[in-house]
Amino acid sequence: MHASTTAAGTDRISRGAWRAGLSLLLCCVLNACDSTPRVPDHLRVVGGDPAQGERLVTRYACGACHVIPNVKGANSYVGPPLNMFGRRTLIGGHVPNTPDNLVRWIMDPPSIAPRTAMPAVGVSRDEARHIAAYLYTLR
Amino acid sequence: MSESRPAMERRLASHTPLSEGEVRLRKAWARPAGIGILSEVNNTVVGRYIIVTGFAFFLLGGILALLIRTQLIVPENTLIDVELFNQLFTMHGTTMMFLFAVPIMLGFAVYLIPQMLGSRDLPFPRLSAYGFWCYLIGGLLVFGSLFIGAAPDSGWFMYPPLSSLPYSRGINTDIWLLGLSFVEISSLVAAVEMIVGILKVRAPGLSINRMPIFAWAVLVTAFMIVFAFPPLLAADIMLELERAFGWVFFDATRNGDPLLWQHLFWFFGHPEVYIIFLPAAGMVSMIVATFARRPLMGHTWVVMALIAVGFISFGLWVHHMFATGIPRLSLSFFSAASMAVAIPTGVQVFAWLATLLGGRPWLKPPLLFIYGFLFIFVLGGLTGVMIALVPFDWQVHDSYFIVAHLHYVLIGGMVFPLFAAFYYWMPLSSGRMLSERLGRWVFWLMFLGFNISFLPMHLTGLLGMPRRVYTYPAEMGWNTLNLISTLGAYLLAAGVLVFIIDVIRHHRSGEPVVHNPWNAGTLDWLAPVPFQPWTFFSVPQVHGRYPVWDQAELPGEVDRGEHFLADAPAEQRETLITDMVSAKPLQVLRIPGPTWLPLIAAVITSAFFLAAIAHLYALALVIAAVVLVIFIGWAWMNARVPPVDQVDAGNGVMLPLYLGGVHSHSWLGLFLGLLVDATLFGSLLFTYFYLWTAWPDAWPSAPFLEARLPMVVGLVLLLASSAAMAYAKRANQRAQRSGFWLGIITAFVFGVAFLIYLIPLFARADLDPTRHGFDASVWAVMGYHFFHVCIALLLAGYSMARVVVGHLTPRHDTDLRNTALFWHYTTGTGILALLAVFLFPF
Amino acid sequence: MHNGWQARTSNRALGRAAALVIAMLSTGCGSLEGIQSALQPQGISAQSIATVWWIMFWGACAILLLVMVLAIYALRRPKPSRLGHPYLIIGGGLVFPIVTLTALLTYGLSIGHEFHGGAAAPAPLRIEVIGKRWWWEVRYRNGPSATPIVSANEIHLPVGVPVEFAVSTSDVIHSLWIPSLAGKIDMVPGKVNRVRIQADTPGVYRGQCAEYCGTQHTWMAFYVVAHTPDEFEAWLANEQRHARVPSEAFLQRGRNAFVDAGCGACHRIRGVEQAFGALGPDLTHVGSRRSLGAGTIDNHVGTLAGWIADSHAIKPGNLMPPFAAFDGETLRALAAYLESLQ
Repeated sequence: MHASTTAAGTDRISRGAWRAGLSLLLCCVLNACDSTPRVPDHLRVVGGDPAQGERLVTRYACGACHVIPNVKGANSYVGPPLNMFGRRTLIGGHVPNTPDNLVRWIMDPPSIAPRTAMPAVGVSRDEARHIAAYLYTLR
Repeated sequence: MSESRPAMERRLASHTPLSEGEVRLRKAWARPAGIGILSEVNNTVVGRYIIVTGFAFFLLGGILALLIRTQLIVPENTLIDVELFNQLFTMHGTTMMFLFAVPIMLGFAVYLIPQMLGSRDLPFPRLSAYGFWCYLIGGLLVFGSLFIGAAPDSGWFMYPPLSSLPYSRGINTDIWLLGLSFVEISSLVAAVEMIVGILKVRAPGLSINRMPIFAWAVLVTAFMIVFAFPPLLAADIMLELERAFGWVFFDATRNGDPLLWQHLFWFFGHPEVYIIFLPAAGMVSMIVATFARRPLMGHTWVVMALIAVGFISFGLWVHHMFATGIPRLSLSFFSAASMAVAIPTGVQVFAWLATLLGGRPWLKPPLLFIYGFLFIFVLGGLTGVMIALVPFDWQVHDSYFIVAHLHYVLIGGMVFPLFAAFYYWMPLSSGRMLSERLGRWVFWLMFLGFNISFLPMHLTGLLGMPRRVYTYPAEMGWNTLNLISTLGAYLLAAGVLVFIIDVIRHHRSGEPVVHNPWNAGTLDWLAPVPFQPWTFFSVPQVHGRYPVWDQAELPGEVDRGEHFLADAPAEQRETLITDMVSAKPLQVLRIPGPTWLPLIAAVITSAFFLAAIAHLYALALVIAAVVLVIFIGWAWMNARVPPVDQVDAGNGVMLPLYLGGVHSHSWLGLFLGLLVDATLFGSLLFTYFYLWTAWPDAWPSAPFLEARLPMVVGLVLLLASSAAMAYAKRANQRAQRSGFWLGIITAFVFGVAFLIYLIPLFARADLDPTRHGFDASVWAVMGYHFFHVCIALLLAGYSMARVVVGHLTPRHDTDLRNTALFWHYTTGTGILALLAVFLFPF
Repeated sequence: MHNGWQARTSNRALGRAAALVIAMLSTGCGSLEGIQSALQPQGISAQSIATVWWIMFWGACAILLLVMVLAIYALRRPKPSRLGHPYLIIGGGLVFPIVTLTALLTYGLSIGHEFHGGAAAPAPLRIEVIGKRWWWEVRYRNGPSATPIVSANEIHLPVGVPVEFAVSTSDVIHSLWIPSLAGKIDMVPGKVNRVRIQADTPGVYRGQCAEYCGTQHTWMAFYVVAHTPDEFEAWLANEQRHARVPSEAFLQRGRNAFVDAGCGACHRIRGVEQAFGALGPDLTHVGSRRSLGAGTIDNHVGTLAGWIADSHAIKPGNLMPPFAAFDGETLRALAAYLESLQ
C-alpha cells in the first residue's frame, strides 16, 4: 500500500535466510497456500514474472478498488474482486481474457472500454506484463 | 526453628478430644454449609474469593492481550476490525489495572494479613465482604460490556474530549465511568479495613517495629489508595456530569479544560502503579527472607523505602504529561522527582541482594520467580529512569517503548512476585504443595515468553511505532519485531496455562503438608495448614520479627491454647485489639459472623449504578435512598452496649469488650473514611482553582458572590452548629441529659438553617453549570458540601434515636463521637468551600 | 553543521555496536533505519535525543548486569558472602543511584532546549498544524501577519533552519510526532503549543499521530518533505497559487462533477468558487501530495478514484461518506481532475 516514498524503510526481512524461512512458514500457516498454481499455456505472459507482478500490485495500490487475495490492504469493492482472475472469461465485460488484452487493459483501460471508471495509472508495458502474469496465477 | 514434622503430627493426633473451649470456638467460627458459604464474611473465605476473582480477570485480560497480539502479528492484518480492536486494548488495560492487579493484591492482603499479624479476622469483616461483592458485580458489568459490543473504547485513561459526549456517543464510556467507580468502592473499603486492621488488630507483642514487611507494604499501599483513588472518583463523577447533564469541566469550548482530567487521572494513575507494586515488593521481602534462610537484611531501611515510595509517588504524575506543552520549569521538577523514586526502590533491590548474599539461598520455585522478578523489574526500572528524562520522553512517549516499559514494570514488578506468592502460600489454603517440576516449567515459559514478547518492543517504539494502533504499514521495519512479540506472548500464555494445570492437579494429588513446609519464620506459617477459619487456637504472644524462628515452642503453645482467647465463652467470634505502637492488648473485639447483608447491599448498590448507566436518574435516586436505609440498618446493629464490661482474654488478662471515642476501631475507620472524602473534596476544590488558572481572563462572577453577607451568615451558622455539637458531646459524657438534647437540637437547627438559607441563594443566582467551567465548579464544590450537611443532619438524627433506645449512653458514646467528628469535618470543608467560592480570586 | 556531522557518525558507530546487542537480545530484528525511526535522526533535536539514548542504553546494560551477577553469585557459593552486608544496601541502593541520577539529570536538563525554542530569535517560518479526526491541516505563514497558505497531510520545510510549529486541534487530543526530526508535542483543545523543529538532511520522513484519538488513530499519518532552501521557496510559491483551471474537456468534466456533487461543501479548492468547505482537507494542490487519507495510501489517479467511490474500504470509519453515484467515466474524470491539481 505504501511504496513509492519508502525505499529507506524497506523491511530487511528478506536479508537473512532464516528470516525468509520464517516468513515463508508464517505465510503457509496463515494463508494455507500451496505453491503457485499451474497456469495453463494459453495464459502464459511472455516476459511476465508473477513475483514482480505481486509487488507491483502492492506498489500501484490496486487494492484501492479491488479485493486481491493475499494482498494486504486490498479490501475494496469499487471494482470487481480479482480472485480467480485466471478463470475469468472477459476483461471488464468487454474483451476476451487473453494475455495481450490484459496487458493492454492494465496499461490503459479506457482505450478498450471508454466508459470504465478504471483509469490508466501509468503502468509501463513491462510492468503490465508482470502484473498480468501475477493475475493469471489467481485461479 | 519450628518443630519437626513427626512431632507436629503427634501433637495434632493427641489433640483429638476437644476441650469445651474448643467446641465453643468451633461453633463461633463455623462456616455456613452449602450456598450459605456466600454469606460468610471471614477473611480466609473472602480473601480467597477476591484472589480467585482477580485471577479470573487476569486470564480474561490475558485473552484480550493475545487477541491484540494476534492482530498485530503481520502488517495490515484484517483479522480484527478497528472498532473491536479499540475496545480490546481499552478493556485489556482497564481489566488488568482495575479488575486484576489492585484487587488481587488486596485479596492477598485480606487473606494473609490477619494470619501474618496473629489475629483471627479483620475488624470489619462484613465491609470486606461488601467490597468483594461490589468488585465482582462491577467487574462483570464492565467486562461484560464486551459481549454486547458496548465496551469502552477511548483507551484506559479515557482522555476527554475523546471520551466526551460529542466523540463518544454510546453508553460505552458511561459503563467505564460508573462501572469502575463502583469497583473503586471495593478498593477504598479494603484500604480503610487494612489500615485499621494493621494498626489495631495485631498479636500481643507484635509491636510496630516487629511488623512483617508485607504488612508495612500493605499499610503504605492502603494509605496511598486513600489519597489516590478519590481524585479519580471525582474525575469520573465530573466527566459523567458533563456527559449526562452538560456540566462543563473538561470541554475547552465552554471554558473547561481537558488537561484537568489528565492531572486528576494521573494523580491517581501514577500512585496506582506503586499501589500495585508495593504489596508485591512486600511479598518479595517475605519470600527472600524465607529462602535465604535468614532475616531480611536492612529491615528498617526497607520500611523507610516503602514509606518514601509512598510519598514520592504522589509527586510524579506530570511525567505522564511531558508532551502536553507544560512549562519547562515544572517539567524539570517532575523529571527530578521521577528519578528520585528510583532511589528507595534501589534500596529495596539491594536489601534483597544483601539478604541473598548473606544467607544460604534455596532455589525453590518461589525464589525462582523472585529471580525473574529481579531481572525484569530492574530492567523496567532502568527504562523508567530513561523516560523520566524529559527530552527522551518526548521521543518515546506513547510509543511501543512505553508499552515495553510499563509491562516490564507491572508484569515484572507484580505478576512475577504474584506467581512466587502462589507457589509460596498455596499450602496455607489447600494444605498441599504445588509441583516443583511444573513450577520450573511455568517459570521458564513465562520468563522467556515475557522477554521475547516485550524486549523487542523497546526497539519497535524507537523505530517509530505508536501504541494503540490496530495495524501498521508493511514497509516500516516493524514486521519482524511484531512477529517475535506475538510469538513471545503465546509462550507467556503457555506458562500461565501450565500453572492452571498445576493448580488443578495439586488439589487432587499435590503432596500434603501439615505445617510450615518452607521453614519460614513469620506468623502466617505458625498455624497448621490448611487454615481453620479462626487460624490460631489461641492468639499468640510474640517477642520478635520472626516468631516461628525465635520462639521454638510457640506452635505447640498456641495449639494447646496456652495464649490468648483460647475459648469463645459467648460463642461469638473474637479477636484482640492491641495498641497501635506497642501492641499491648487493649480490647476483646467481637466481630460479626456470616450474614447476607453485604451481598444484598452490594446487589442493590449495583442497581443504582445500572440505573445511572441507563440514564434512569429518578430510579437511581430511589435506589440510592434504599441503599442509605440499608446502611443505616447495618450501622444500627453495631456498637451496642456490651452485656459485661470486661472478659478474661486468657491467662487471667481482663480486657474490656467496648472501647469508646477515639480509641474505638470504628472512630479510626470513620476518620480514614473522612480522609477519603476530604481528598475527593480537595479534588473538586482543585478543579475550581485549576479552571481559574486555565481561564483567568474569562473568569466570570455571580453578583450575589460579590456581596459578602451570605458567606458570613453561612460561616456563622456552620461554626455555631459545630460548637453546639461539641457541647452536646461533652454534656453526654458528663451524663447531662438535657444539655445533650439542647446541644444536638441546636446543632440540627443551625444545620437546617444553613441549607434553607444558602441553597435557594445559589439556585436563584445566575449560575448555569452548562455554560462555563466556573459555574460548574462552583456548583460541584457547593453541592458536595450541601450533600455533606444533609448527611451530618442524618447522623445527628441517628444519634438521637440511639439515645432514645438506649444504645448510646454517657460511657458508650462511639456513635456520638463519630457524629461529632463528621459534623466538625463538614464545618471545616464548608469553611473552605465558602471562602474559595466567595473570596477567590480576590 | 560540521560538528553535527561528526556527532552523527560517531553516533552511528555507537548505534551499530548497540544494534548488534539488541539484535542478539531480541533474537534478530530489522535495522535501526527507517523513515520514522528515532534512531536514524535527521534533525538536531532527534540527534541529541538519540545520543542520550545510547548513553543510557549502555549504562542500563551495565547496571542490569551488575545486579544479576550479584544475584546469581548469591546462589553459587558455599557459605554466606561478606557482600551480604548493610553497606551493600547503602552503597548500591543509596549512594550509587544518587550519584548517577544527579549526573543524568544534569545532563538531561542541558539538552532539548532547541525543541521548546527558549529565548531564541523568532523563527522566520511558522507552520501551523491543526489536528483533525483523522488528518492534519497544515498552514504556512511567512511572518506573523501574512495570510496563511493552507494545505494538508504533508509538511514541507527547508533544511538547516529551525521552523516554528504552532500546533492545535479542532476536536480531540492528537499528538504530532516526527521521530526522525524531534520528539512529540500534543495538540490540546483550547491551547496552542509551540515547538521548534529543524531538519538537517533533505529527504522524506514520515510522522504519525501519537495520542490515541479514536477510530482511525492508526491511519493518521503524514509525510514530511525536507527541501533545500531554494527548493522550498519554489515549492511554497507553487503552493500559494490558486488551482489550475483545466483546459482539457475531460478534466473540465471532472471539475464539473466536483462542483455538482457538492464536494465543495467540505473541501476547499482555491480558485473554484463553489469549493469553500473546511470540514475536509484543502484540495488546491492535492495532486502534488504523496498520499491520500493522511498517509493511508499512495496518491495517484487510480487511488483517487477508489478513495472517492468508497474511502471506507481503504480507511474504515473515516468521516468522508462514500460517493457511489458517479458513473465510471465521470469518476475517472473527477480523479483525473484532482490529480491535475499539482
